[in-house]
Parts: sequence; C-alpha cells; structure tokens
Amino acid sequence: MVRRVLALTTGRIAVAILTLVALLAVLGPLLAPQDPLATSDTMLAAASGDHWLGTDYLGRDVFSRLLDGSRVSVLGSLEVALTALLVGAVPGILSVYLGRGFEWITLRLADTLVALPFLLFAVAVIALLGNGITQAMLVTGVLVSPLFYRVARAATLAVARSPYVEAALISGASLGWVVRRHVWVKVLPPIAVALAQTIGVGFVIVSSLTFLGIGVQPPAPTWGGLLASDLGYLSHRPWAPLTPALLIMVTVWGSNLLADAIRDVSGEAGRALVNQRRARANRPDKADPAPAGGTR
Amino acid sequence: MTTEPSPRSPSGTREPSPPEDSTGTRAQRSPGDSGRLREARPTGHSPGPGTTPPPVLQVAGLRVRYGLGRRRRTALDGVSLDVARGETVGVIGETGSGKSTLARAILGLVRADAGTIAIGGEDVGGHNRRRWRALRRRGVVQYVFQDPLRSLDPDLTIEDSLTEPLLVQGVPRQEAAARARTFLDRVRLTEELLGRLPGELSGGQRQRVAVARALVTEPRLVILDEPVSALDSANRVQILEILKELRSDGVALVFISHDLGSVAGIADRIAVLHQGELVETGTARDVIQRPRHPYTRLLVSSAPTLHGAPAERAERAALRALLHV
Repeated sequence: MVRRVLALTTGRIAVAILTLVALLAVLGPLLAPQDPLATSDTMLAAASGDHWLGTDYLGRDVFSRLLDGSRVSVLGSLEVALTALLVGAVPGILSVYLGRGFEWITLRLADTLVALPFLLFAVAVIALLGNGITQAMLVTGVLVSPLFYRVARAATLAVARSPYVEAALISGASLGWVVRRHVWVKVLPPIAVALAQTIGVGFVIVSSLTFLGIGVQPPAPTWGGLLASDLGYLSHRPWAPLTPALLIMVTVWGSNLLADAIRDVSGEAGRALVNQRRARANRPDKADPAPAGGTR
Repeated sequence: MTTEPSPRSPSGTREPSPPEDSTGTRAQRSPGDSGRLREARPTGHSPGPGTTPPPVLQVAGLRVRYGLGRRRRTALDGVSLDVARGETVGVIGETGSGKSTLARAILGLVRADAGTIAIGGEDVGGHNRRRWRALRRRGVVQYVFQDPLRSLDPDLTIEDSLTEPLLVQGVPRQEAAARARTFLDRVRLTEELLGRLPGELSGGQRQRVAVARALVTEPRLVILDEPVSALDSANRVQILEILKELRSDGVALVFISHDLGSVAGIADRIAVLHQGELVETGTARDVIQRPRHPYTRLLVSSAPTLHGAPAERAERAALRALLHV
C-alpha cells in the first residue's frame, strides 16, 4: 500500500508535506528563536530582522509562537482524528457482524452523539474530567466519531453479504479473517478521506476550544489560537492571519491529498492504475497490455 | 440412495436398485481420471471394504421459512434428499422454487425450521457457529456460486482467492500455493493467471477459478448453484466437462439449475422442486423419459432438445392450468 501510494505524484507530494509538518511538530518548539511567551514594548510591529513575522498585541514574537504552537496543534488534531477512528470505525465495522443487539445499541449511541450540542458537551466533560488538552481532544474525537461509524458501517454493509465473503465463511473463515482479508480493504478508502477531513477540522476545533478557555490555556500558542487573536487586529496588521492560515491550509491539503492517493491506489481500479503505469514504463511499445488468454 | 416421497410426489419414484453410477462401479469406469484426486486424498476418506459408508448428504423433512408473522413464507417444506458418495444429483426448479434456499440450508447459511441435515453422517441441525466453522474448515462441503463476477473478491489476485480455503485451514502459505497450482490444470487454467485480478479475467475463466477454489480442499460434496447459467454455450460445455471429470473422481455433486438440459447430461438422479416441495425424484433417464408429476412433464415438454419435437402448445397450457389449480 505504501509503495503504491508513493508511485503516484500526488501521493509523493502529500507525504512530503506531511513529513514537513511532522518535523515542524517535533522540532518546532526547539527551533523558536525567542521565548514565545515573553512580552515586549514593541506591540503589533511589522516584520523585521528581529521579528520575522512581527509581534502580536502583547509584543510577543509571532514566528516563535508559530513554531512553538505547531506541536500542540498537530498533536491535538491527530488525537481527535485517531480517537474518532478508534471509537467510530471499529464499532462501525463490527456492527454489521456482531448481531442485532450490538448493532442497535451502537446505532442509537451514534444518533445520541450526533444530537448532543458540541460545546455544551465539551464543557460538561471538561468539568468532570478536568481541563487539559488531552481531555478536550478525547471529547472532540468522541463527538466526531459518528461520522466514522457511519462511513465504516456503510462500506462494510456493501461487502458483508457479497458472495466472496460467503465463500470465505463456507470455507470456515472466522469473523476476524473476513474483516482483515475482505472488508478492511473496502472500508479503508472512505475512512482515509474522513480521517483527512477530520484532521483539518481538528485544527479549527482546537482553536475554537482555546477561544473558550477549554483545552490549551491562553498564553500557550496554537495555530488556531494565533489566527483567532490576529483576526482581532486586522486593521493594524491585515497580513498577519495569512501565515497561520496558510500553515493550517497546507496541512489539511496534504492530508486530503494523502487520502485521495490512498483511495486511488486501493481496490481493483487502483491496482490496475499502478500496474498500467508500470507496464507502460517497462514496455513503451506496448502501452496497454490486453488482459486476455489463459484458455487452452 | 433413498428418497422419502413427499406428499405430492407420486408413488414409485423410489429406486429399488442402486443406479449405474454408484460408488462401486465408478472406479472401473474411468481408472485414469479417478487416480488424480485419489492420490492427494487421505486413505481414511475412501470407503473401507465391507463397511457401507454413510451418504455424503442426508436431508430429511427439511422446512425453511422466511419472515415473521403475516409475511412469513415457506421456502421449503418437507424436502428429503440423500446424496451417496460420488453421486451427482440434479435439483431442478423454477425461480423461487427454493433451490438456492436448499443449498444455503445445507451449507448452514440459512437456519432450518424443521427437519434434519447430516453431512457425512454428522448431524448439523444443532450446530452453533463454532461447530459449523470446525466442520467447514475440514473442507468436506464446498459451494460454487452462480455469479462468477461477484463470487471472487475483486481486490484479491486469483492466487489469493484460490489459496484462501487452505489458508483458513491453517496450511502454510507456500504449501497452499503449491497445492492450489495443482488444481489449475483440472479447470483448464494456466499459471500466468495466478497474478491477475478477477476483473482481468473472462466470465468463463472466473467461473473455472470459482470451481477450482471449491476443489482445493478436496471436498466430498460440491454444491453448484446454477454454475453455468451466466455463461455462454462454449464455456458452459467446458464447465460441464470439468464437472463430469469431477464426478468420475468420486466427488458427489449437487447440481442446482432451472434448466433441465444442462443437468440431464451429467446427473445420475434428478430431483424436481416445485413451490418449495420435492415433487419428483428418480434416475435422470426416468425423470426425462417418464415424467410423472405435471410440473416435470411441463419442464420436459418445454425443453425441445431433450425429447424430440416440442410438445403442442395446447398440451403445455393444459399442464400449466393443472399446476395452478
């Protein structure tokens, strides 16, 4: 799967972008040239040699804050996406196979989660579990999980009663075998797309929760938080929100590209696509090998 | 080899003597062919001298109903059918007569409301999921689906699909691949197809792959649900030839079809299903030449290639009227 994704140009671009973002998340706080929390007298300054991206309304260095906030931002949205994947997709697949009772209970749970007002629920859980980035992201992940539940369930239902699954069952295959060998490949592409989308939404959620004082606490920087505070001073520094917005956009774009690449190379069509390219590269004279023969 | 007469079947369908294609005479008829499968099979499976092995399949008084309450419909009622070792039984019936339900009930995909099913002497009526899995892993019974396009996973190569039943049994991958290869020849496929995906094969090739997948576990009973209905005549003939070879290798076949013509040439016995009931069973020759039940007569008279000139339209109309009363 990895090799097939890398065979596509879009796949390579996506992996490059996401690697950069991951490096930023790991090394960002170490690379920050100044203390991201230190205030100074030069407030709302334009870009200069001292402050590459200027300063914010408290005179803090924006570039340092951007670098320092990248780890929390990236980890936060990843946490949201992975929680949603685990809480949503796994029961989604199993709901098709584990009998009516499990199906009914998980379906109603998913409906309940959709019906809950997001912020109210987040505030309530924070009140119960204590404030912190991990709690906030777990709550968000659980609230986003119905999307994964529905997507995984729909994709599983499409193959659950197919003859090849029945053929495997007739051969004595277990539930785990069927899911691993037949179902997972069909569920992965739509799940990957949902995952990429959730990573993008995650950035926005982290910032909106920050705005409410949930999760990341105010002095600590995040990309979304920077965007929010910059928006308040648009008249002074109209170009300021561009950098955090671009960072978020590129990350979301990278994960969407990756999701597209995964969808493109998985399944029959994807394999044919990659094989075709390989064949064309190997035999330029015969561009399209005809799939035929085999009869005696 | 006994078939309990169902309420609507006329008396006298019971065979007093074993048919010509029973286990004993088969080996003499084509020794060359039967050797191939026999070698690979453990000796414990072949019938020992003096002992009469149980029929591969015994179905008695089977009833299957779908739905609940007022929408409940009876798909099968009082169906009894025995299949001896190496015997080929054709099950004929129109759409909705319960043919596929019969197959699915035998395979444990549909639960029976009443009646017993025994596979190789083992009563499977009360089997839970775990015991069904254990039975299936032995690979005694296999199934070939009607639609060759959808019965193979489009994301798996032919080799993956062929080895799957063996891998499920716990056979190491290398050995499974080697064993799967030996069956390609039997279904007239070449090794170069192994790396392909089902979408890159023709319908006939796919159906032969499906047959090969059913054979890799060396089953004693193969249930074929309309195996040739989706194929053109050339591929149909090829599949039927493969099935005839299988029959001479001692594999019992249950051949389900709506088409009397494709079953007539291969079946030892023919069972006719009509509206969920077994209306007639007998040797293939008897059923075709001396059909007793009106529905069978209608079937035979509707198949011109079987019985000289097609019967008069008026006669067929009369038979239909008789059936609907």
